[in-house]
Formats: sequence, C-alpha cells, structure tokens
Amino acid sequence: MNRLQPQDRPRSHHRPAPHQGSPRSADTTLEGFDASRRRLLAHGAIGVPAIALAWMLAREDARAETSRPELVPRVHDLLPKKPHHEPRATAMISLWMQGGPSQVDLLDPKPQMARFDGKTFPGKIKYDNAAQASSRVLASPWSFRRYGESGTDVSELLPNLAGIVDEISVVRSMHTGVNNHGQSIRALNSGATIGGRPALGSWLNYGLGAECDNLPAFVALIDPGQLPVQGVENWSNGWLPSIYQGTVVRPREPRILNLTPAAHLAGAPQRRSLTLLRRLNRRHADRRPGNDDLEARIASFDLAARMQLAASDALDISRESDATRKLYGLDHDETREYGSRCLIARRLIERGVRFVQIYTQNQYWDHHGRIIEALPRSCRKTDRPAAALVRDLKDRGLLDSTVVHWGGEMGRLPVVQNDSGRKNFGRDHNTYGFSMWLAGGGFRKGHVHGSTDDFGHHAVEGPVTHHDYHATLLHLFGLDHEKVTYERGGRSRSLVDEKPARIVEELLES
Amino acid sequence: MRHTAHALLVAASALSSTLPSAERGAPVSFDRDVRPILKANCVHCHGESEKPRGQLDLRLGRAILAGGKSGPSVHPGDVKKSLLIARVRSGEMPPGDERRKLTPGEISTLELWISGGALIPASEPSVTRAGMLITREDRTFWSFRPVRRPATPEVSNTVRVRTPIDAFVLARLEKNGRSFAPDADRRTLLRRAFLDLVGLPPAPEDVDAFLDDGSDDAYERLVDRLLASAEYGERWGRHWLDVGGYADSEGHTDDDVVRMHAFKYRDYVLTSLAHDKPLDEFIREQLAGDEMLTWPLENLGPDAVEKLTATGFLRMSPDGTASDRSVEARERVVNETIEIVTSCLVGLTVSCARCHHHRYDPIPQQDYYRIRAIFEPALDPSSWRVPSQRSVSLYTDADRRAAALVEAKAKAIEAERLQKQTDLINRTVKKQLQMVPAQIRDTLREARFTPADKRTPAQEKLLREHPSVNVSAGSLYLYDSTAAKTLETMAAEATAVRARKPREEFVRALTEPSGKPPNTHLFHRGDPGQPRAEIRPGGLTILSRGTRQKIEDDPSLPTTGRRLSYASRLTDGSHPLTARVLANRAWLHHFGRGIVATPDDFGTLGEPPTHPLLLDWLASELVESGWSLKRLHRLIVTSTIYRQAAWSAASVAASAADPDNRLYGGMPLRRLEAEIVRDSVLAVSGVLNRKRLGKPVPVMADRVGQFVVGIENLNAGRPGAVIPMRGEEHRRSVYLQARRSRPLTVLDTFDAPRMEPNCAKRSRSTVAPQALFLLNSPLILHHSRLFAARVKKEAGDDMNGQIARAWLLAYARKPTDVELADAVALLEEQERHFTSDGSKTAENGKSDPRSFALASLCQVLLISNEFLYTD
Repeated sequence: MNRLQPQDRPRSHHRPAPHQGSPRSADTTLEGFDASRRRLLAHGAIGVPAIALAWMLAREDARAETSRPELVPRVHDLLPKKPHHEPRATAMISLWMQGGPSQVDLLDPKPQMARFDGKTFPGKIKYDNAAQASSRVLASPWSFRRYGESGTDVSELLPNLAGIVDEISVVRSMHTGVNNHGQSIRALNSGATIGGRPALGSWLNYGLGAECDNLPAFVALIDPGQLPVQGVENWSNGWLPSIYQGTVVRPREPRILNLTPAAHLAGAPQRRSLTLLRRLNRRHADRRPGNDDLEARIASFDLAARMQLAASDALDISRESDATRKLYGLDHDETREYGSRCLIARRLIERGVRFVQIYTQNQYWDHHGRIIEALPRSCRKTDRPAAALVRDLKDRGLLDSTVVHWGGEMGRLPVVQNDSGRKNFGRDHNTYGFSMWLAGGGFRKGHVHGSTDDFGHHAVEGPVTHHDYHATLLHLFGLDHEKVTYERGGRSRSLVDEKPARIVEELLES
Repeated sequence: MRHTAHALLVAASALSSTLPSAERGAPVSFDRDVRPILKANCVHCHGESEKPRGQLDLRLGRAILAGGKSGPSVHPGDVKKSLLIARVRSGEMPPGDERRKLTPGEISTLELWISGGALIPASEPSVTRAGMLITREDRTFWSFRPVRRPATPEVSNTVRVRTPIDAFVLARLEKNGRSFAPDADRRTLLRRAFLDLVGLPPAPEDVDAFLDDGSDDAYERLVDRLLASAEYGERWGRHWLDVGGYADSEGHTDDDVVRMHAFKYRDYVLTSLAHDKPLDEFIREQLAGDEMLTWPLENLGPDAVEKLTATGFLRMSPDGTASDRSVEARERVVNETIEIVTSCLVGLTVSCARCHHHRYDPIPQQDYYRIRAIFEPALDPSSWRVPSQRSVSLYTDADRRAAALVEAKAKAIEAERLQKQTDLINRTVKKQLQMVPAQIRDTLREARFTPADKRTPAQEKLLREHPSVNVSAGSLYLYDSTAAKTLETMAAEATAVRARKPREEFVRALTEPSGKPPNTHLFHRGDPGQPRAEIRPGGLTILSRGTRQKIEDDPSLPTTGRRLSYASRLTDGSHPLTARVLANRAWLHHFGRGIVATPDDFGTLGEPPTHPLLLDWLASELVESGWSLKRLHRLIVTSTIYRQAAWSAASVAASAADPDNRLYGGMPLRRLEAEIVRDSVLAVSGVLNRKRLGKPVPVMADRVGQFVVGIENLNAGRPGAVIPMRGEEHRRSVYLQARRSRPLTVLDTFDAPRMEPNCAKRSRSTVAPQALFLLNSPLILHHSRLFAARVKKEAGDDMNGQIARAWLLAYARKPTDVELADAVALLEEQERHFTSDGSKTAENGKSDPRSFALASLCQVLLISNEFLYTD
C-alpha cells in the first residue's frame, strides 16, 4: 500500500469546501465517497454487509490517494500506516510507577554510600521539599545481588525481576530535570513539561494507525484507587484528533465506558433491546429504500455489538489457565489486582491493541516517609506480575514485537527526608538521575545502560532525557521522531517537542 | 470530496460518468479542458512569474504554440514531436516531488488536444505583462455573473406549484419525466418542521393541536409560530456560529485560555436571527459595527452595544497572541480572520491567493492583499491588541453616577458605623474604668484617652498594668457581644448597598484605532518577512468589470471606514456572491445539501449548482424582500418541494436516473445534527432547561477523560467532588461552553465541528462509536431512565398506555399493532429478567424491575433511526 504518511503531507492552506468540520472515523464512514462509485461497488458486492463495504471503500480510497496538492483537510483515521523503516516493535505495555520508585534501593546499587550512612552528604543536593530536608545520607537498607548471565544487579525487594534480568535493559541514567511529579510525568508521557499535549500512546497510533478494528488502539488500565497525578491528562490526545485518545478500562462495570454495557444490561437484556432496535430500524429503512445511510447505521450497531463482544472477551481473564493465573500472582491477595491488569494487558496486545499503559494509584511510589515499610509493600504488589508479563509475552512469542516499560517519573535522593527516627525516614524527589527498565521490541537483553554518581543523585554516564527515550521508542516502532509531526498553530509539532533527541543506539538489540 | 473524486478518477477510470468529457469522445476544449491543467500546474513559472522560465508562456494558446527557448512546445496533430508532452511524460515537468506531477488522465487530455490539432480560441486577449491572466471566459463563470431574477418556468402539473420555487424544481423533474412525490402526511410534516426550524421534536400537545387544526392554513400558521419562537434563534443561530467559527476559548496554545465575554457575540447572533434582523444589516454590523458608532465609545446605548458586540465576529479566529508575542502568531490571526470572512460571505477560497495567484480561480495574489488592506487597520500586527485588551467596558456615565450615589450611601453607613464604634468603645472603656480602684481611675482615664503616640512612659506602663481598658475595635466583642453584632450588621449593610452598584459588563469587540492606518504590502510567497508592493484596499478584481473595486478611506469617520465600505458593497444587492451564498446556505440547512454542494466554494473547483435558476431566483428574492431570512424560510418551508414525502428509491427507474435525489423528487432524509440529537434526548426525557442566553455552561473532563457538562474541580489534576449543576446541565447545546480543547463527547461523537478556524459544512459520519455511545453511554442510559419515569407519570401503569405515550413523545405518532406487540414482548421479557436478577437494578436497596424494563424500551426509541433522522 503506497500510502503517504501524515508528516509528508502538511495540511494545506488551500481552503477546502466539502469536508469542513471534524471528519473522524474510528472505523470508517460512508460519507464523502463518490456516490456513483459507491453504488457501483455496492452492486458489485452483493451480500457484503454495508459496514464491511465501508471498510473496503475506505481502504480502497487510501490506496487510490494521489499526492496532488491537498484540497481537503486530512481525514484522520486509524487505518494502518506504513512506518518510515522496518519496525522492531508493533506494540507497547508501559507499567507506569507513579510517584518515583527509589532507584538506589531497587536497580542502581551504591555500595559506596554505606560508608556515609547517617553522615553528612559530601556535596550539593537538589531538594524538592527543603523544609523536611536533611543532608544525612541514607544508605540502602536492602541488599543487592547480581543475577543471570548478564550479572545485572537487582535489589532483594525485586526477586521476580531478578529471574528475568537477561531479558531486560536497565537504564540507570534517566533525566528529566524537573523536580515535580506533574511536570516530570508530562515530560515522560507527552514530551514536554507543559500540559495539553498528546500522550505517547496517542502519538504511536497517530503515526502507525491501529492493528485491530474492534478494540481501542490505546488503552489505559487504571488502579481501583485514586487516579495518578495528572488524572485523565495521562491518556489525553491533547490537540491530536480525538480518535487518538486513550480509552480507560475501569476497575468495575462497565469496564470500558461506552464500549461495554452497564452491569444490569450486559448479556441477554441488551441483546433483546438490540433485536427490537433492529426490527424497528428494518421497517423504517424498508419504507425508505435507497437511503444508504440507514443501512450503514443498522450495520454500525452490528459492528458495535461485535466490538462489545471482542472487548468482553479481551477482558475475560477467567479463560486463562491456572498456570498463567498463578504466574501473574492471581492466587495471592497482594498481587491479584495488579496481576489481573497485567494479564489483561497481554490479552489486549494479543488482539492487536497498540499501546497499553497500566497506572499505579496516586503517588504509589512517592516515599517521602516510612520508606522502609512502604517500598517493600509497593514492590510486593508489582514485582511478580511485571516479571510474569515479560515471561508470558516471551513464551507466546510476543516479546520480540512488544516493548515492556517499567518506571515512573522520577527516582529518589540518597539522603534522609523526614529525619525523625529511622521508621519515619523517607527520600525526596530526584529527576536528575533515576532508573527504569525496558524489555522486548528490539531493546537489548541483559544490559545495563548509563550510570549515576556515587550517590545516585545525578546521571553521569550516558544520560537519557525524555526526548532521547521517546526518539528511541519511535525508532523501534519504525518511525522517525522528526517526521511524526502534526501541524498546529502554524508549526509542526512532534512528540519530542521539536527538541534535540538522540536515538540511544546502545539500548538497541543488534 | 473533490480530492476523493480526483483520486477515484485515476483509480477507477472504467467509470464513464466520472471521466472528463475528452475521454468520453467530446472534442477537447482548450478553455474547458486544457487551460485548467496548465493553470494549476505550469503557469506559476511559465507565465505568471516576472520572467517566464525558458521564455515559455503557457497562459495563452498562441503563446503555447509559439513556444519558448527550446522551440515550439506543441506540434498540432503530432503528440510525439510535442515538447510539452515529452517533458510531462518524462516527469521532468512540473519539477519537484511526486505530488507535483500530472496524472495520466491529465496527460492524456493534453495529448488528445494536440492530436486533435491543438485548437485554440479564435480570439485571445493580448497580454504583455507577467501576472495572472483574467480572461473573458473567466468572467462568464456562473458565480461571477450578476444575479438576474429569472422568470419562473412553465410546468404542466400546476396543481403542485404552491410557491414560485416549486416551478423551478418541478420543471426539471418534468423534463426528466418525473414529478414531485406526494405530500408527506401531517405528522411527518410536523416533526420535520419542528426539528428543522427549532431543533426540537414536537411535544404531545403540539401534535394534538396541529392534528386537531382542520383549517386550510394550519401548516402555514404552525410555520409562523415556530419562526416566531426563541428556539428558532437558537437553532438557526447555531448554523451561523458554525461559519463564524464561534468558540469560548482562544485555542492555539496548549492552555487554551477561556474567552470570558465571547458568549455575548453568541447571544447577539441568536437574538438577531430570532428578531429577523435583515441579513444585510446583520453582516454590516459584524464587519463594521464599530465604524457605525459615534466616537468615543462611551455611554453606549443598547443599539450601540449591539453593534459593538457584533464585531465579535472578527474576533473568533483561534488566537495565541496572548502568550505568543511573535509576528507569526499575529499574522495567523489576520489570515484566519480573512479566511472566516471570505469563506462565510464571499464563498470563494480567497485564502488560496495569499502565497501565489489562485491556481484554479481568477484571483490574483494582489486581490488577497486588497482584502487584507480592508482589515489591517483594525488587525494590525505591528500595533496589536492582545486578547485582554479587546474587552470594551459598557459602563456609562449614568452607571458611574449611579455607582457614585451608591458609594456615597455606603460611605455614609460606614461613617455612621465608625462613629457608633467609637461610642461603643468609649462606653465600654468607661464601664471598665468603673471596675478599677477609684484612686487611679482618673489617671488611667487620662492615659487611655491620650493619643497613643503622645503617652508618657508612665502612662504606657499604667495601661500595660490594666489591659482591660485597652478596648479596641478588634477586641470589643470580648466585652460586649451585642455591640459587636450591631457593628457587624452595619458593615454588612454597607456591603449590601455596594452590591447594588450597576455591574460592569464587557463585550469582546473589534475596534479600529484612529490615526494613520498601516500600509498593506503584498507578501512574497505569503511571507511577512518579504513585503513587496504596497496594496490599496479593494474587492476582488474578477467582480469589478474592468475597473478595480477600490475602497477609499472615509474622512468623515474617525476610522478608515474601509470595513464599513466593504460591508456596504457586499450587501448593496448587486454583489454577485453575497446573496447567492446566503440563499444557498439556507437551502443547505433545510435540505441537507446546498444548491451548490460546496457552500464556501463557488469557484471552479466547487460543485456547480444543481438548480442555477432557482439559486438566482432565491438570491434576488432575498434581496428584494429586504434581506429577511424568515421570509426566505417561509417560502421554502411552505413550498411543495419541502412538503413532499420522504425520498426513496421507490422505483428502480427513479433511483437509476437520480440516485442522489439531486432533482428533489422527494424530501431528503437527514440525520439530526449533534446538538439536535442531544437536545431532542433532553426534550423527550422531559428535563430540557429552556433558559435562554447568558454565560456558557462549563465543560470538564470526567474520571475517564471524556468531556461532559460540569464544573471542573481538580486536585493535582485529579477530579475532586462533583459540584451540583442545578439544572444547568440540561440546557440546550448551543449554550454549552465551546472550549476548543474540550469537545463535549456527546457532540463530538456526532460530528459537531472543530473550529479551525470555522466550519462551512458539517460532515456526517456513520461510525460504530456512535452506536456504542447510544448503547452504553451513561448519558443515554440516564435519560432513558428519565424518559421512562416521565412516561410512567404521564401514562400511568397500563402497559399499552405507556407504550403509546413513549411512541408519541419520541416519534410524534402512535405505535402500529406490530410495534405494540414487539414492545409488550420486550417489556415483559426485560421485567422477567430484572426480577430474577434484581441485584443489579436495585436502587437504595429496592429493586424496580418494571421501571428498568420501561427504561430499556425508552432507550431503544431514543437510539432508533426514526428518532435520529428526519425526513
């Protein structure tokens, strides 16, 4: 399919007449096709449901598209787009650890800190909360060991991650440089610290289109607790067309608003309603033959019903084997809820969903105090399911094409916050050098990238900014981060906010 | 659609109906077939530029034959020897990437022309200067010719002719051996008129009243009643807000700042249409309301406020200039404002001529800057008014005087209170002094009443030892709570009095600064950094019959008067486009398609009119009726065309001859627009709040990121407690905040436009997300329950009665026997289900299977095609 990319076709200033407004088509539309041609195809395709016909027409139109000056604004759709180069990854699951997991206690061991434990930090600290600040070093209370053939260091708090280190790349030199949750979340999730921008998942679907037509292409799996900081902005399409917005899977019915039925209507009651609707619509259309739109709308309810079925099926983890359920920790109270969401993520990816982000609840990793008690608890909830996800994807042959990301918007400082007894110790924000890990989709296996200083405060070797991270991700998806752009306000906007960005080659599998 | 059509032409060249006439065997015409190809692709370098490339001028036939540096470009009759073909075939020309190359169809048209002898027009204008060539052929294009009122055509079936416009449509039908469809039944007509004119379905009382009215003119009186209603303004005002690009926020920047006073422009539009303000006046006010006022803009009466508010039209473009101080941001606002004005009123793609001559229409680049010069004195990038400087206070001297009087009253109360306070304090001090030993009483009294800065150290010491006499305004309540209350009451009284000051209101307006207007220059390639020749204000050359439509400044006005002069020209009745464009838009909204299907492009790339004579008749009627839109409505709505039964391909012959109902052999079926879907649901569920005008109802993101009506209450980006909306959530959609970054999910789903910068014609999609929204959205489920509750309240417990009521409310008719049986079956089955599975329908611990069953039936009606479409 020789199809131009959005970025190759700047929105023309030539003012178009016929398709003003906001054309959109999550699947497709019957409007706007040459009527006589539509009819011809309709005659030539007797028996094809109208909506399938519409699909055909839309795809045909995409093929027939020429590269003449654009007279009509681009109709944005979710049809598959050709990437710029051969992609390594086609899907991504982001395990978003909101609050900022402590890198020096989990993935970035600093044995040198032991000597300074309880002593004054020998340098300058960038604090977020100066009122509660102290300059006493807090060496990690937990021990690290090297695991796997790669010998990657992992804390005793993440025993399951230890089992898959040969599949992952740990990045120890992340840097956003904005010490607030909101701004750093925006940087990592939408490319800049200001609000109103499209999220990573929206960009991927804008650049690549969707791989399935019966599930949303960008799914947000939220925690049953409070929403993470920045709330719904985390899956916002910003100024991209709204078809690129993330769709929330809720922790209760209806699991997907507008896509799955309300609890009391699910199943037989809604089927009965649809049957009556079909009868009423049929009689109505039969009295008005030749009005294609009526047929298309009748068909659209059939498609909707199939989408509901697909969604219900994708969310139904009861169909998984006991072994799989156990792998994700569904047999334990502490891991059941998070494990279920990781398992749903895999089921969604299997069915062609492009991007899934799983959120922890509000400030789940923001351990300003009582870290010695709280950090192990956070790890117990997420460690097993996260590792299970990587294993499971690998077993099913999906890991090679699926990026798994684990990380939050920041790490933590090497010094004590809340110096009022060891039990109360916490660590303050640190966005100058923190860790996350990546697996699959073309990321290197069993690798550690970059380093921080002796106290894990600043990235010193191979720093990776949010822009670098995004450029690298897009690269793996076959996209050039400078070319995936959207015309807005007279300029081309991009995920990397038109800033310099480096594809971190060292992280890529050769 | 043009784009698509073009693509299809290449892909599906087997379709004879879409082929250019050349390939259907008709001889190729230079003017019709060849010139447009050269104009669109070649003459930018070969003819219009100052020095034609390769000395080749492709603007005129004889110059083409003459050729350029490389010799004749065309050998008549010999395609192989023709350089022109060799260059385009090899892809050498036009230069640039794939997008620039000619299509095989275009090349074959050129070849057919050459093989046919390369005939050129007998007389061609003489052109020596470089630049855009406007030919006689161009001037004869239909939309540039003056509007002439055509005679109504003869028809045979005169019985069906109710209005003159019927004759135009019927004549065409008869020419094709057809006639009008029979009149629609009265219920259909009633529902059609309601949804079209007021955007709401008829209530049961309306149905009864209309069906009971046996008089001959029952329908005409219904139409008059609907046109006279405030709801008419809300419905048809919305159409104008689309082309005007109305929004309650600035857009452009990521924070999308809210426009506090924009709604007054919305109210201006709604009120003007409701009052049938003549459209010429309506347009003049929007383009130049400020130039119609007496300066300075003080003590504005209602009429002046109205005119000033109207200029909000020129402030609707997305605007990032509050935070973006760059010239580019300002230029963008100027460009988009011109785009709104021209697409809305002129019906040509004038903006295409900003960077170069228009490639398809005879609009030279200079014309764009003539139009710009009209607006530049008020929209001057070098002396820019940022959004916060555009609010004009409506405070009058009388308001100020009233405010001063109120202030004086408040001050008097405060003075009185102060005196009272001093008295009360002194009284309390005296009481306290009675409680100290008599021997120090006088000394202490003296110390207490000596001003603080004059006290001796001894006095200060004494006071410290007896703090109880240090009664102050702040501590008085500790001694005498009644006294404190009295003072509090007096303070509250002063505040209450102040609140009676006249409120200071603002409008968001465009006003032109007095003083020397800026010079307008043509920008080379549209780049403000490359100004070229100075350009004087004027209209489009093509409409000016030889002499340029110059616009001179009006020395009698404090402003240049350019906009007022331009507005007068647009509305003087002789402008060939304004009335055609307006009449076409009225037709578009009544029938779902314009006589010209491209309402903002009456140029060569637009669709030609299906009924050119009818369009001209309507345009001249609009002008002659004093630009009354309501008279035009009445004419259209009472015509036979409008009163026909729904179009359908009832006979195979009719559908084959006119598959898209271009001849109007029946009333076209139309899906309700987004706002009407929502408003109708609210009306039928019985909660529609008909409050008119005023501040927009806020829109926010809900917990999953959908945009819903509500007051935002965020804590670190997360939604906090829900703030009650007190019925505001049920107001008509036109009153909901149109924030560019927050398209309301229900409206967005049903194709409400994004204003970037405006919308000349809405798209109508039929997609699965709409079906999912109708099936599962909390909004539809909620209103289905309200609808059911209303049915139960109005029809009682009888099942058949409930079904009949529901049908009447949703469809304005009775259910058929089959429908009744179907509905009964559904109600019984759903009730059985909800009874056996009661846990999920329980509310407050009580399960009510019957009402849930009824809600489920009501939902089916709300989401059915009969409800969502009108015919």
